[in-house]
Amino acid sequence: MEIPFVVNARKDTGLFNSKVAIWLFLASEVTLFGGLFSGYLFLRLYADYPWPERTLPVLPGLLNTFILIGSSVTVVFAWAALKMREWRKFQINMSITLVCAALFMILKSFEYSAKFSHQATRIYSENHSVQDFAILEGHLHKAKIGGDGQLQPAEKGEDGAFYSNRIIFSAQEVSFSLARPVYDGYLEQIIEQSQARGAQFQLAEAFETVTIQEDGTRPTATLIPAGAELSRDSLDNAESYFLHARSQDAKLRTKYLKASFAELRANGNDDPGWKIAESEEYQALQNRNAKLIKQRAYSPPGSITYTSGEKPVTLHFDPDAVVSRSADQIKLRDDTIIKGKMLESPQYLAVDGIDFRFTAQRAEEEGIEPARAIEGSWVLKQPQLKKYWDAHQEWLKALVEKLGNEGKGHVPTENELYRVNWDQMVAYHRAGFEDIYGKAKRGELDKPGWVEGFTGPSHGGQMGQAFPEVKVPREHIGFESTFTPKWNTYYAIYFTITGLHGLHVIGGMIVLGYYLFFGKKMYDSNPEWLANRVEVGGLFWHFVDLVWIFLFPILYLM
Amino acid sequence: MSASAHDHHDDHHHELPWWQKYVFSTDHKVIGIQYGITSGLFLLFGFFLMIVMRWSIAYPHEPLPGYLTWLFSENWEARWLADGKVTGETYNMFGAMHGTIMVFLGVVPLGFAAFGNYVTPLQIGAPDMAFPKLNMFSYWIYLVGGLVMCLSFFMESGAAKSGWTNYSPLAGYADRQIVNQLLAGQTQWLIGLVLLITSSLLGSVNFITTIINLRAKGLTWMRLPFFVWAMLVTGFLLLLAFPPLEAAGIMQLMDRMAGSSFFMPTGLYSKADGVLDISGSGSPLLYQHLFWFLGHPEVYVLLLPAIACVAEIIPCHSRKPLWGYKPMVWAVIVLGFLSFIVWAHHMYITGMGPVISTFFQTTTVLISVPSVILLTSLLISLWGGSIRFNMPMIWAAAFIPMFGIGGLTGLPLAFNLSDLHLHDTYYVIGHFHYVVAPGILFGLFAGIYHWYPKMTGRYMDNFLGHIHFWPSLVAMNFLFFPMLTQGMAGFHRRWYNGGDAYLEKGAEPVNVFGITVLEKISLNEVMTAAAFALAIFQLPFLINMFISYFWGKKVENDNPWDATTLEWATPTPPGHGNFTFEPAVYRGPYEYSRPDHAKDFYPQWEEPKRRQAASTKPEEIKAAAVEEKSES
Repeated sequence: MEIPFVVNARKDTGLFNSKVAIWLFLASEVTLFGGLFSGYLFLRLYADYPWPERTLPVLPGLLNTFILIGSSVTVVFAWAALKMREWRKFQINMSITLVCAALFMILKSFEYSAKFSHQATRIYSENHSVQDFAILEGHLHKAKIGGDGQLQPAEKGEDGAFYSNRIIFSAQEVSFSLARPVYDGYLEQIIEQSQARGAQFQLAEAFETVTIQEDGTRPTATLIPAGAELSRDSLDNAESYFLHARSQDAKLRTKYLKASFAELRANGNDDPGWKIAESEEYQALQNRNAKLIKQRAYSPPGSITYTSGEKPVTLHFDPDAVVSRSADQIKLRDDTIIKGKMLESPQYLAVDGIDFRFTAQRAEEEGIEPARAIEGSWVLKQPQLKKYWDAHQEWLKALVEKLGNEGKGHVPTENELYRVNWDQMVAYHRAGFEDIYGKAKRGELDKPGWVEGFTGPSHGGQMGQAFPEVKVPREHIGFESTFTPKWNTYYAIYFTITGLHGLHVIGGMIVLGYYLFFGKKMYDSNPEWLANRVEVGGLFWHFVDLVWIFLFPILYLM
Repeated sequence: MSASAHDHHDDHHHELPWWQKYVFSTDHKVIGIQYGITSGLFLLFGFFLMIVMRWSIAYPHEPLPGYLTWLFSENWEARWLADGKVTGETYNMFGAMHGTIMVFLGVVPLGFAAFGNYVTPLQIGAPDMAFPKLNMFSYWIYLVGGLVMCLSFFMESGAAKSGWTNYSPLAGYADRQIVNQLLAGQTQWLIGLVLLITSSLLGSVNFITTIINLRAKGLTWMRLPFFVWAMLVTGFLLLLAFPPLEAAGIMQLMDRMAGSSFFMPTGLYSKADGVLDISGSGSPLLYQHLFWFLGHPEVYVLLLPAIACVAEIIPCHSRKPLWGYKPMVWAVIVLGFLSFIVWAHHMYITGMGPVISTFFQTTTVLISVPSVILLTSLLISLWGGSIRFNMPMIWAAAFIPMFGIGGLTGLPLAFNLSDLHLHDTYYVIGHFHYVVAPGILFGLFAGIYHWYPKMTGRYMDNFLGHIHFWPSLVAMNFLFFPMLTQGMAGFHRRWYNGGDAYLEKGAEPVNVFGITVLEKISLNEVMTAAAFALAIFQLPFLINMFISYFWGKKVENDNPWDATTLEWATPTPPGHGNFTFEPAVYRGPYEYSRPDHAKDFYPQWEEPKRRQAASTKPEEIKAAAVEEKSES
């Protein structure tokens, strides 16, 4: 059996099979990206926060645009070379295409990794008129648990150091829920961290099991003795007893409930269930059942509790793991409850961006003067940050005058008014915070250029000194994230579309690379077939290029 | 294909080990049957979920009987049932998965993938699909996607519980207590969905390419059987409507796995967690738009394969050409186009605004025009025919009124004024179940009885067929018709206990239709009894499928129904590569009872006589010319 029109076109349609298929596939790709682009539109139109405009470094994106366009040209040359049966030329052009694709992905990965390590924290102040909503951007410094069990800053590469974004808790008692599996990761953290501090959690009271005898007695046995060390095994034993006992109890209760309905129906009660459930005889039966069940059920404990002995142990968790916290208790996502004392859990942030746009927006919504709302922000109570804001006001003054002098009534943008960007921070720092107004007027401020800030601020070296460290207490953290999809819907759609586009680039590289490296055999036996395949792969490649041409302006420029 | 090439291929074919022939097969017929069996099993599973739900609706205070719980482990029962009764949480899980399984894993794969795969290449005279390997991958990706969805029943979180539409923010929030989100039912649902969409995209590309490029010689567009047209339109619907849902699925996956807020509004609060730790500013309405942009065309993806089967069966078993073939073709194309611009009629109560509602109300009413053209043409096709009341025909005939009820009950839902009252009630459930169950499934049953002889070389048993058909017809109506009246009385579609919790709240006002919940609550037990009966009377069908394969009456020849389309020109069952000769087509698909032809059917592949013996006599040339004219 041979499928027709694999190599040669069908006369009436003028197309070979895979060409029909690729056009159809691309049509579906258009609706796929169409869905995402309309998502972008929806999210941007209905955003209730200041949409981050021109927040990505333009230069890498621009370079990538030209790289992809170039590769789209060479892929056509590669196909043309095959059509003319010039294998060498095909190899050269296809290699250039693949190198371009690889370059694209490398630039992309720089861009991504800069985002992944860049922290943003939205400040919350309870007594502020609009709950503050100032945003600090920067890099988290490392911290560790000191000998006194408290958090303290740590040097880079120090043992036991972690990024200072953890919930620090002095634990005395840990209760694990038996009805839900205990999450391995959390358990390991608790055991490892307590061992690192030379302590361990031990079972508070012996874990007892019950056997139900025919004569109604309930002899007990010790499954895990009091004082047993916390381990996966002991938890598993307790859990499997719990599950066994729970299912026996459920069976028992089901049996009695079935029996009561059977009894009622046998007595000629034909009422529908909802009426029966309200009747007195049903209630009487249920009360009788409850007594019987109480005698015969295992009624296992729902949790198992370990204590740290006399000395509490300091534990620290990712904020995402802690679903609720109060001064004396935290609850982890797997329903583990830890009792003790909440400790200070601040972020040590090297700030490279101060943004009051959200504060200003909220103030305007509330009918408050933005400047007044900003004035009251927690951020401006930090002297090392206030300095930058004051310098920025001077720069603004110079800017307003400059715009006014041009005679067209231009005003500063929201970005200029309410945001101190990292390059401005560097410039103010380099100027020594002196005479910013004058230097701005004269154009003497030394902002980092395109090359120096290729993928954004650098926290090492000389530039890093421009970024002051701030200790942000946990109670002032309203919302925090790295610049990942969690931070806001802009980054969500940015990562989703560019990520999906990146996957398309990789897919295209695999297919085109296959033709380049494994196509010789087919070239020798059926060169036209290979040309068809490269044509189809090339069409796909054009599409990938086209998507990027739409992505670049909407994500980088607008 | 030359004879020697074919022989050579046959040699090769015999060398294939069994797992390549029946498991990882690239033959469209084997893949079609794989799809059929798999989707049939999913349908039975979805049916089982529904039976458990119906028990909970009729007898909410009683434990599930033993014959419904044998599938569950003791531990599972202790976790998900309360004293053996179905809990609201479990009901939601079963409800969400019933819908998902029936639509995405049951009916679409059965209609489009199983029938489409088996019949389409045969009807267009192709040796196989254009991309046989891709076809195989479609099936396996579908299977993996389905299994991923269903495995979550056994996980800590249980399966998805947010309805088959998976609306955010509920679906974005559900199962947040699970640390490893990859093992949460709600996430698995999305992963399964992305796999299913990928599978159907590959499938639809393959189908459309096959139909465009692999048609036999002489098979022009207007000679295509209606079945093929319907598959072509269905393919385009899947191709263009599914990707936006894939986009939505990816975004929701990001919401769950990466903590984004695509569909999560600002300030979302839950009683358990307080204000959620999310950025907010997402749009729940965006999800609904993306979902229903697929959701509505999906309705026609369900429907068209069934109509396609019926449109093949009615002409064949009433020995009459399909009435209005060309209008039907145009209707199905227009239907396909319109189905892309009606989606927001599912969203009248989201507060989109009256202007948008009016637009979608208008397009929704418009789409009933092509639908009515299709149904009316099928009905008129029966008029004056010499109908053979055999099994395929009985099912096909029942399809028409049953689908008619389903379609007509949709009209009040198309108008946003009446939809405001009926939205989310059992009326909606009754409406679309009439479309899908006695409508679409009857059409597909007809198809199974019709093509079974081609697939196996044996007829299905008539007696068992009747035991299957009549009780099913009665039970379906006792199950679904009360839903319409209950819905008008105000029964909400997600009441897990059939409405008695609502009654306990005290006196209820009479609603706009003048009926109360109390008046209609006793129907719950009738409907549940009907559901049980429906389940029992599918047994004859399963037995029939099985025993007819071994002991059924053998077909007399390759064309047992005296049909005209190309699939009947193949050997029975067709071998790898399908045709033993190079098929060519000389006329339209439904040439039954032509007065100028001796037999009452004139197959598409039969060469006209004049070509066999060219004559020089003037009167014969004239006769041949007349024949030629009538054929074009």
